[in-house]
Amino acid sequence: MNATSAPGYLNVTDFRSDLRAWLDEHDLSPGPDHSLDAQVAQLARVRRALYDANWMRYGWPAEVRGLGGPAVLRAVLGEEVATRELAEPGIYSMIEVLAPTMISYAPPALAAEMVPRLLSGREQWCQGFSEPGSGSDLASLTTRAVPRGDHWEISGQKVWTSLAQFAARCVLLTRTAPGHDGITAFFVDMDTPGITVRPLRTMHGVDEFAEVFFDDVIVPADRMLGRPGDGWRLAMDLLPHERSTCFWHRIAHLYKRLDHLLAETSIPDDAELGAAYLALHTVRCRSHATQRRLAAGERLGAETSVDKVLLATAEQQLLETVRDLLPGVLELTDSLWRSEYLYAKAATIYGGTAEIQRNIIARRLLDLGRE
Amino acid sequence: MDATERDLLAETLRKTTTAASGQALDAALTDLGWAELLAEQPDIAVPLTFRLLGETGAHAPLLNDVLLSAAGRPVGATLPLPYTGGTWIVWERADAAAGTALDAELPLRSVPAGPPVPLAAGRVALGWWLLGTGRAMLALARQHAVDRVQFGHPLASFQAVRHRLAETLVALDGAEATLVAASDDLGALLAKAAAGRAALTAARHCQQVLGGIGFTAEHDLHRHVRRAVVLDGLLGSARELTREAGALLRAGGSAPRLVHL
Repeated sequence: MNATSAPGYLNVTDFRSDLRAWLDEHDLSPGPDHSLDAQVAQLARVRRALYDANWMRYGWPAEVRGLGGPAVLRAVLGEEVATRELAEPGIYSMIEVLAPTMISYAPPALAAEMVPRLLSGREQWCQGFSEPGSGSDLASLTTRAVPRGDHWEISGQKVWTSLAQFAARCVLLTRTAPGHDGITAFFVDMDTPGITVRPLRTMHGVDEFAEVFFDDVIVPADRMLGRPGDGWRLAMDLLPHERSTCFWHRIAHLYKRLDHLLAETSIPDDAELGAAYLALHTVRCRSHATQRRLAAGERLGAETSVDKVLLATAEQQLLETVRDLLPGVLELTDSLWRSEYLYAKAATIYGGTAEIQRNIIARRLLDLGRE
Repeated sequence: MDATERDLLAETLRKTTTAASGQALDAALTDLGWAELLAEQPDIAVPLTFRLLGETGAHAPLLNDVLLSAAGRPVGATLPLPYTGGTWIVWERADAAAGTALDAELPLRSVPAGPPVPLAAGRVALGWWLLGTGRAMLALARQHAVDRVQFGHPLASFQAVRHRLAETLVALDGAEATLVAASDDLGALLAKAAAGRAALTAARHCQQVLGGIGFTAEHDLHRHVRRAVVLDGLLGSARELTREAGALLRAGGSAPRLVHL
C-alpha cells in the first residue's frame, strides 16, 4: 500500500477489519527480551512497519503527512497494538501527547518536518514537564529560559521524563516570567550541548524515567512552541489527548492482563474476579463516552479527572487481584506480573495524583469553592 | 423524538414525579401515556422516568411494566420479581398502609418463587433509579457542605469532605457510563451492579458528610439511603451480580469487551 492508493476511512469498522487482516499477515510480535532497550527498539520497529503500511498515518492531518480521517482511528490502532501485545502501551501512547502538541503549537514547517519522524519510529521524543520541586503542581516550575538575541538560554532540571535517554527531541516547558502566563514551551534537540540525562531506576526495575539537566542550553528562537507565555495553555490543551486516546490504549492493555490472569489462575474467586472486571468495564464505558464526545468536537476539561480516577482505581484493583489469585507468583518469580504489579502503584501518582484529581473534581465539577 | 420534544417530556415527567408518588403517580403516568411511551420509545422512557424517580424520591410500580413489556405482555399488572438471596417479591400497584420493607413507602410483599422474568430490561431500569437516588444524595450532601460552617470554615473547604464527595461523583458518573452502554444481558448485569455499588457508595459518603442531621428522620437523606438498599437487592444485588460476572469470565476464559469504538 502506498500513499496514492491508500483508501480513506470514514468509519471505524472497515478500518479495524482491514487493519486486523494486515496484522494477521504481518507478524510484529516482540522477542523474548523484556529489557527497556529491547522495548524501545520494538516500539520503533512497530511504528515503522505501521507507518510504512500507512496505518500509523490515519487520524492525523495531511499537514504532517497524515492520511486524515477521524482521530478515533488512532484509538482503534492503539487498541489493536495493545491487545496483540506488540508494544508496551505506555511508551506507544506518547505520540498521542507529543504529536498533537506539535500540530497545534509548532511553526507549520517544523511540525511537517518533525511529526513524521515520530510517527514512523525513526525518532523517540520526550516531554519535559515535571520538575523536582513541582510534581503535580506544574504551575510552580522553575526551569528558566532567558532571551539572548535570536536564541534563548535554558537552565534548570526536569524529572520523571520518560525515555529521555532514548529521545532525539524534547517538548520542554520553561519559566520566562512569573505566574501561569510566564510559562513558555520549546522544542529542543536533545543533542544540544549542556543537556545531561541521568536515567532513574524505578521500583519496578526499569529506567523508564530520567532526570534531565539543562545547563546554559542554547535554543533557537524559532523552536518556540506558540508564543511566549503559551506554555500553560499548551499543557492544558494536552488534557483531551492525555485522557482519551491514551486511556483507551491502556484499558485495552489491562483487559489483556485480565485475560492472562484468567488463563493462569486456578483459584475460583468469582467475587474478586468480577469486581476487577466491573471496574475495568466501568472505565471502558466512561472512556468510550469521552471518545464519542471528542469525536463530536466537544472540548474536554475537568470531567476527564473522573476518567483518570476510574482508570487508576481499576488498574490497581486488577493488579491486587492478580496478586491474590496467583499467590506467590509475583513475589517469588521474576515474571512480567511483578513489574506490572509494581508499576500499577504509580497509577495514582503520575499525570496528577489521585488527590489532585479529587481536588479538581471537588472544585470544578462539584463547585465546592476553595479549600 | 427530537431534542425539544424530549426536553418537554422530561419537564412534564419531572413535574409529575415531584407532585405525586405511589398509586397516584402510577395513575398520573398512565394518563400521560406511559404505556404507549414504554412500548414505542423504551430507550427514552426508561432512563428518563426511572432516573427521575430517584432524583425526586418518588416511587411507582413501573418496574412491573418494564418487565411485562419486555416479555411482550400487557402492562398494568404485577408479576413475581426475584430478590437477593433467592427470595421473591411482588411490587403491588396499590399503596401499602405501611410496608414491611426497610423502605416502608414501597408496597413490597414476599411471595414464593415465580417464573423467570426478562432480567436485563429490569436491571437497566433499576440502575437508572439507583443512579438518580445517588445523585439526589450527593446534591443533599453537597448543599450541606457548602452551607454548614464548622471551626470557622464551610465544611466544603475541608479536603476530607471534598474527597468523599468527589469519590461519590466518580462512582455515579462511572455507573452512568455503564448504563448508557448497556445493550445486552451482560451489559445490563454490570450496569445494575455498578449503579447499586455507586448508590451505596453515595449513601455511605453522603451520610458521613451530613453528620448528625443526616441520621435524623427530619432530613430527607434516610429515605434515599433506605431506597438504595432495597433497590440494590432487587433482580440481584451488586454483590451477587459481581460474583455472577466473575463466574461468567471463568467459564468463558476471557474478559468480554462489551463496548467498541
